[in-house]
Amino acid sequence: MLEVKEYLKPKTVEEAYELGILPNSLYVSGGLIAAQLKISHLERLIDLKSLKMDEIEEGEFVKIGANTKLAAFMKNPTLSKLNNGFLEKSAREIGSTQIRNMATVGGSMAFKLGWSDVITIFMTMKSQIEFYDGGFQRVPLENYIKNGKRTQIVTAVYLPKSTHFMAFEKFAKSTFDIATLNLGAAILLENGVVKDATIVVGSRPMISERIREVEEFLKGKELSNSIEEAAKLIEKVVKVGTDMRASAEYRKVLAGALLKKAMRRIYHESGIQS
Amino acid sequence: MRVEFKVNGKRHSVEIEAGELLVETLRRLGYKSVKHACDTASCGACSVQLDGLPVLSCRTFTAAVDGHEITTVEGFSKEGALSVVQSALLEEGAVQCGFCIPGLVVTAEALLNENPEPTEEEIKTYLNGNLCRCTGYESQTRAIKKAAEIRRGTLHRNANAQGDGI
Amino acid sequence: MRTSNAKVSSNNRTKFNVVDTPVPKVDGYALVKGKTVFTDDFNIPNALTVKILRSPHAHAIIKSVDASKALELEGVICVLTHEDVPRVAYTRAGQGYPEPSPYDTFVLDKKVRYVGDAVAIVAAETEEIANRALKLIKVDYEVLPAVLDYEHAKDDGAPVIHDEPEISGAYDVSHNIASHYEMHIEDVEEELAKSDVVVEGTYYTPNQSHAMMEPHTAISYFDPNGRLTIISSTQVPYHVRRIIRHVFGVESRVIKPRIGGGFGGKQAVHVEAYVTAVTLKTGRPARCVYTREETMTASNTRHAMRFKVRVGASKSGELRVIDMEGLSNTGAYGEHALTTFMVAGSKTLPLYNKVKAVRFKGDIVYTNTEPAGAFRGYGAPQGMFALDCALDELANKLGMDPIEFKLKNSIREGETSPVFKVMGEGREGVEQIIQSCKIEECALEGAKLFDWYEKKKKPRINGTKARGYGVAFAMQGSSIPAIDMGGATIKMNDDGTFNLMVGATDLGTGSDTILAQIAAEVLHTTTDKFIVYSSDTDVTPFDKGAYASSTTYVSGNATKRAAEKMAQEILKAASEIMNEPVDSLHLENGQVVSENGTSLTYSEIQTKLFYTFKQRQLEVTESFVSEVSPPPYMVSFAEVEIDLETGKVEVVEFLNYVDCGTPINPKLARGQVEGATAQGIGMALYEEHVLDKNGRMVTNDFFTYKIPARKDLKNIKVKFAQSYEPTGPFGAKSVSEIGLDTPGPAIANAIFDAIGVRLRKLPIKSEEVFFALNS
Repeated sequence: MLEVKEYLKPKTVEEAYELGILPNSLYVSGGLIAAQLKISHLERLIDLKSLKMDEIEEGEFVKIGANTKLAAFMKNPTLSKLNNGFLEKSAREIGSTQIRNMATVGGSMAFKLGWSDVITIFMTMKSQIEFYDGGFQRVPLENYIKNGKRTQIVTAVYLPKSTHFMAFEKFAKSTFDIATLNLGAAILLENGVVKDATIVVGSRPMISERIREVEEFLKGKELSNSIEEAAKLIEKVVKVGTDMRASAEYRKVLAGALLKKAMRRIYHESGIQS
Repeated sequence: MRVEFKVNGKRHSVEIEAGELLVETLRRLGYKSVKHACDTASCGACSVQLDGLPVLSCRTFTAAVDGHEITTVEGFSKEGALSVVQSALLEEGAVQCGFCIPGLVVTAEALLNENPEPTEEEIKTYLNGNLCRCTGYESQTRAIKKAAEIRRGTLHRNANAQGDGI
Repeated sequence: MRTSNAKVSSNNRTKFNVVDTPVPKVDGYALVKGKTVFTDDFNIPNALTVKILRSPHAHAIIKSVDASKALELEGVICVLTHEDVPRVAYTRAGQGYPEPSPYDTFVLDKKVRYVGDAVAIVAAETEEIANRALKLIKVDYEVLPAVLDYEHAKDDGAPVIHDEPEISGAYDVSHNIASHYEMHIEDVEEELAKSDVVVEGTYYTPNQSHAMMEPHTAISYFDPNGRLTIISSTQVPYHVRRIIRHVFGVESRVIKPRIGGGFGGKQAVHVEAYVTAVTLKTGRPARCVYTREETMTASNTRHAMRFKVRVGASKSGELRVIDMEGLSNTGAYGEHALTTFMVAGSKTLPLYNKVKAVRFKGDIVYTNTEPAGAFRGYGAPQGMFALDCALDELANKLGMDPIEFKLKNSIREGETSPVFKVMGEGREGVEQIIQSCKIEECALEGAKLFDWYEKKKKPRINGTKARGYGVAFAMQGSSIPAIDMGGATIKMNDDGTFNLMVGATDLGTGSDTILAQIAAEVLHTTTDKFIVYSSDTDVTPFDKGAYASSTTYVSGNATKRAAEKMAQEILKAASEIMNEPVDSLHLENGQVVSENGTSLTYSEIQTKLFYTFKQRQLEVTESFVSEVSPPPYMVSFAEVEIDLETGKVEVVEFLNYVDCGTPINPKLARGQVEGATAQGIGMALYEEHVLDKNGRMVTNDFFTYKIPARKDLKNIKVKFAQSYEPTGPFGAKSVSEIGLDTPGPAIANAIFDAIGVRLRKLPIKSEEVFFALNS
């Protein structure tokens, strides 16, 4: 049991925000992370599920409501097909069936956990995040994880449509475990040559980060010939740390290894496509 | 605060604490099949179905299930008879201490509803969040595969061969 | 009288009716339905919630405890400190009496010896209040330097962990040595000098958490007649009763309901002393359910061990000598310290009985870490990791196939090993001639099934992946001979059913079921005619409890004896009723059948005995204690795949070929081996305790301490050899522990085979594999 005085179910996002800015408030969406926190002096839980926000809409962007469960990556026809089934395949690596039935897209962003797979995956897709803090704002996810505040209510995630090939690689001790390191790669190819690349490394153990040196390096290169060099480069430039799961030195190795796996996977998939 | 929800079809109206977790409420109401085992969303022993989908009751606020339907393992044996999944687990020796079994049953039932013909890999993937320390999982995979076959009508109950060996 | 206990050689199993068939577990129906069968499922009205205040320091003296603020809180009933409980030294280890573990523990002490050690007991009306009270207790500690690394526990100037005068049985507390053991047979130095090839290595096995799904739990209350009753998730109800009497001077009744897994972790008094203290103090029922964190950090762990091994052989592959020098970490208290260490030798060394000289010695040391205790395998996995890997290295150096080398030097039927006599558990062992040993079949048939020789011809490296193949041999025992005793009572009912009451402690293994099978086989009926009850110290006969691979063998033999005696009683009664000589009668299908074709059902017999004819209740009790401990044997084959880019090791196939005598229930026996293999793979690759610099366990939940998940394991296969142990019930030996002995060495050997790197420390971590390959 979490020691808390009130569990509130506001009807509008404005109402939720007014409660959220009071001291010792905590938003709850899936509840998974909130229930695990050991906070004393918590006054109120503000359940955001009453705000709905679980729509998935396809337009210029694919809009995913913040309360959408991770299970939708596998089950929703729009999401599961995106970028050659990227979300569907990636979701298998996240948590468990039960966790995917509980955890929401918004909650996975808002707590900004270093080991988050979802943040790495969505940064790879160059997502934008919409939040409310008196007014609605939409910023790149990359900015949100640096500057976002606890009082802001994540309302939706926007995925730009793209023809990038994408791969998500996760290294963990167990198949039911958080990542020792995770890596996402999105690569736009033209005749086997890299036109655009996004490379994201997460669970470093710090929060996910784009590796721009490697992105720049890859541009204009033939994909198949640049795998080894890109891996060497990422080992050099990626910023990683040591914790109980791995040393920084080993995390560098993993970054290189996962990049190679991701690029090989993309190479393979792009071959099947063309 | 007061919440209302259904458990195995039966309506409950309960006074709860704001931070109360579903596993606590269910056990208080007598649904003792729902287990406290890890309390960190890491083992699946507290799994129940929420509107038909398996979730972890150790990480679900009771306040959030107001108006919803919960199914525990008690909801799967009709008039005392075992469900196909339960029988198969028993017949295949897939139950040792039994502590993880209620959570496993509710998750496996959901699997077979979603995917009546799962491969071994799909069974393991779907149930990967249900830890078991006793069995090494092999017998449980055999049992669920068998249950799927019985549910599809491609295998008749008790048609299994001797369990010895490979 | 005819029974199905026919005489057979160890090669031929008789055809049984009930034994050697996969009947479903007798308690399975309740378990799959999620019935209220576990300790915490019982509603005891008015029960207090008990919580333990635990030390944040690895080593400290408690200068004072101020509970006044906690006691002011409404709903807090009592806070007990070391001043409120008897100062009686004891061991939490649930072993036969007198225990070979030192009496170095108090229910609460003035000193704390690891992060998590108990400081105070809180009892409150609700869990929330109890938790709040914990935060309100102020403890003034004098923090002492701590010993966290067991390899430095004996160092000069190391802090002394046990300096209290009341303790007894420890070997040398001034050097933190809880126990010491040494033995030798012939001169190892001389044999090493004579050996053509010698291998030396130092091997480490880690702490390991039992990680049973059900946390430690107990409830205590006074029954209406004022008898203290303890419901406990324990493997050893009789030892709990004895230890509670020793500490508190109070008689009690201990009831073991269904147990949510134990694996040795519940072969100790954990929670029972705390609830008892509260019930004695307040007169009220008390319930204590450990959190997962408490179960992880403040119960028991496997003894971490280090072995320096030297083995030598002649050029032709005759193993001449084994020398093992060990160091074991018993943590803050010496539970099972000596015995687990001895088992590391006594259940490994006799396997290689061709050696000329053997030495086994070492210390078991105290450290300021979680106390170690019994854990499935009980030292044998630690010892066998060192020994089997060393022999694998030796075979490699000799240029011999490891199967051939290990087989050439291992024990056979009709042979013995002097180690049996020299080493027991905590004392001398017993001589025994091996009457059933199918290690040759296990090795040779297993190799065929695994396709060992073909696989070994394949190239090991394929792109970014390497494959390797390893083999490991193991033995275990069946009970602690001349110590372990089990009893069984059988009572016949007028509906033709029998109450089978056993002290044997089914903790999920299925022992209730296999004991019913044994009784049903003898009494020519079916298991559904048995109402099995285990265990309740006021109702069931004594049994030492579930440990030491003893239940099938010891409790099984006790049950068989009781059933045989019941068969005689039934025949005698039938003979009187039918007026025919006993010799003309036999048991068949739940009836007594006469040569002349007439018959009486069991129901008819007991009904007559109840109401109309020489009225009496048929009931018998028998006991069994063994003079020998027949080892089961096993050969395991591991195939691993290593990702050369990350060092990650995956076990892609694991085959166990097992000689456990007759498997009383093949499906349950197979489950025992599969489950033990999974735990062994966990120990080999996944499970690790990480401590911070202050000695706090960081891996204190299932989020950080990873036991293998479903997708982590694949293709665990089990095959049973045709074997029959003449001293076992219907030819059975033990099967529950041996499966844990082989994964460590088989996987380490397979990794060497794949990449040529010897990793001598478990768990084998991807990071270490990678850097070993790329250094």
